[in-house]
Amino acid sequence: MSVQRLQRHLYPYLFLLPFILLATLFFVVPAGATIWMAFTDLDASMSPDLVGLENFARLASDPYLLGIVGVTTLFTFFSLMLVLVLGLALAIGSQYMVRSRQAGVFYRTIWLIPSVMPSVVYVAFWKYVFDPSEAGLVNSFLVDVAGFATPISFVTRYALPIVVLATGIAGASGGMIIFSAAINAMPQDLFKAARIDGASDWSIITDLILPWLRWPIMYVTVSEAIGLMATYYFILLLTGGGPVFDSTTLALYSYRMAFGSLRYGYGAALSLIVVGISLVLTLIMLRLFDFDALLHSSRIDL
Amino acid sequence: MQELTRSNTAQPAQRRDTIASRAGSNPSAIWRSVRVHGMMLLSVMPIIYMVVWLVISSVYNYNSGILSWENWRFLVEPIRYQGISFPLIWPIVLNTVIFGLTVTFLELVIATPTAYALSRLDFVGKASLLKFLFIMRSFPSITLLITTFFILLQLGLINTMAGVILVTVAGALPGHAYILKGFFDDVPWDLEWSALVDGCSRFSAFYQVVLPAVRSGIAAIAVFAFTGAYGEWLLIRTFIFTNDQLTLAGYMAKLITDEERILNYGLITAIGVFYTLPIAIFYILTQGFLMQANIGGRRLS
Repeated sequence: MSVQRLQRHLYPYLFLLPFILLATLFFVVPAGATIWMAFTDLDASMSPDLVGLENFARLASDPYLLGIVGVTTLFTFFSLMLVLVLGLALAIGSQYMVRSRQAGVFYRTIWLIPSVMPSVVYVAFWKYVFDPSEAGLVNSFLVDVAGFATPISFVTRYALPIVVLATGIAGASGGMIIFSAAINAMPQDLFKAARIDGASDWSIITDLILPWLRWPIMYVTVSEAIGLMATYYFILLLTGGGPVFDSTTLALYSYRMAFGSLRYGYGAALSLIVVGISLVLTLIMLRLFDFDALLHSSRIDL
Repeated sequence: MQELTRSNTAQPAQRRDTIASRAGSNPSAIWRSVRVHGMMLLSVMPIIYMVVWLVISSVYNYNSGILSWENWRFLVEPIRYQGISFPLIWPIVLNTVIFGLTVTFLELVIATPTAYALSRLDFVGKASLLKFLFIMRSFPSITLLITTFFILLQLGLINTMAGVILVTVAGALPGHAYILKGFFDDVPWDLEWSALVDGCSRFSAFYQVVLPAVRSGIAAIAVFAFTGAYGEWLLIRTFIFTNDQLTLAGYMAKLITDEERILNYGLITAIGVFYTLPIAIFYILTQGFLMQANIGGRRLS
């Protein structure tokens, strides 16, 4: 092979080299290492030994496991419902129900705030709303106006509903953006025809808009399911997973085991399960949204 | 949100006209409009309340109940919060700027050639690399946090800004390279061919002809990268142990999670407003240009 031909073959890889290096170092290697670490007893002593399936055996007898699987399921399901229902309601409300364009823009702009504002500040607001003392918004109302004798410690009693609410509202804000873009892309003839036929708002929504949104809804469902199941940003900031493990999902449990209890091997075993579920969901998404089609329309996120 | 903004401007006028001519003409249409706006207004109230609360609380003394600048003293002296003393805010601001700019720079320098190669060049393994990129983009890399910790430890990059920068860049890269690839796809081949015919080398055709054509895409990526880095707190909180290395996001995250509940809302909201204001202005300023850049429904953080 001549030098020139060799150069031509290597040329593309020069462009790709930095990316491939980073992707290997922080994606391929950690993924492989997670599998290895899941079968070791790595802890604060930093002397890992391969222990076979011990971590998974311990997992099966973990007294908290059942509760954590329950929390994960409830958290994912209810947050997802909130994202879909509220996201759709806001998109349909502001794009179709509201007749004035400026008003629609106004409502959407305000509703953009929860998903674009920094999450640490967003969470500070939720902490204030449900603060256990009279300084909190709800408690100051309960004590001063409703005549409660003592404030309610919401975060200890209702940790899970609170994290669902905070996560779901921020997610709905993001869902609204996708749904309203799709509604806006609908051919206007459809609406005209429906109106001439005297269709009601309700039937325009259920027979026209919702079927049109089938794919965006599917997309948001799968990608949000992955995100909700595998990430824990708001939970970690809001409750830290507490009280005890009351608002700890499986992914957060893995984080807390590793960085809280320094049981890295056990944490890796837990995260391996999360990785497995995420991977399956990612592949489902790949299939559903036709990989080849996506490659050719890479400017669109749907 | 680009699509959102675009949708508002690109809305065909006819639909609005026909609707407008119908609405307001009869009582039931007015009643419908009142109900719809009532619902929508009700839905935005809590968000407006949140913004107003943040601003007022930042100048409110919760003990005496009067407005004062007391909460903003963090600008001139280091704070003690719940028994822990934190460094003065200005070095933290400097960290934030350095972190944001370095992440942005690295992302551009790495994502641009990657996107170009994926869009324009032929090489062995291209299809699998694209597939891999797509999986990386949808896969939550946060699940690999534990082993990433040990990789940084091995590299001697734990508790360093450099380590967090690398992980942040690696995490955001697949999505951003993917968007940028779309911009390269849209540059007509004729443009590059005519450059080659005129005697350009392949590389100078890329550098002098194709690259300027994707300016808006690169600018969009820069905005996403900077906003992403500005909001990043989990990696900072997990990989940085010394307070003087924190960014503003990491600083806020530490303040609001160190105790069960927030003890001084005045101070926290003052720092929160100080932290949010620059990025809010940046966001509003870049919206107009992002609208022109015409990218699909991307979220900023």
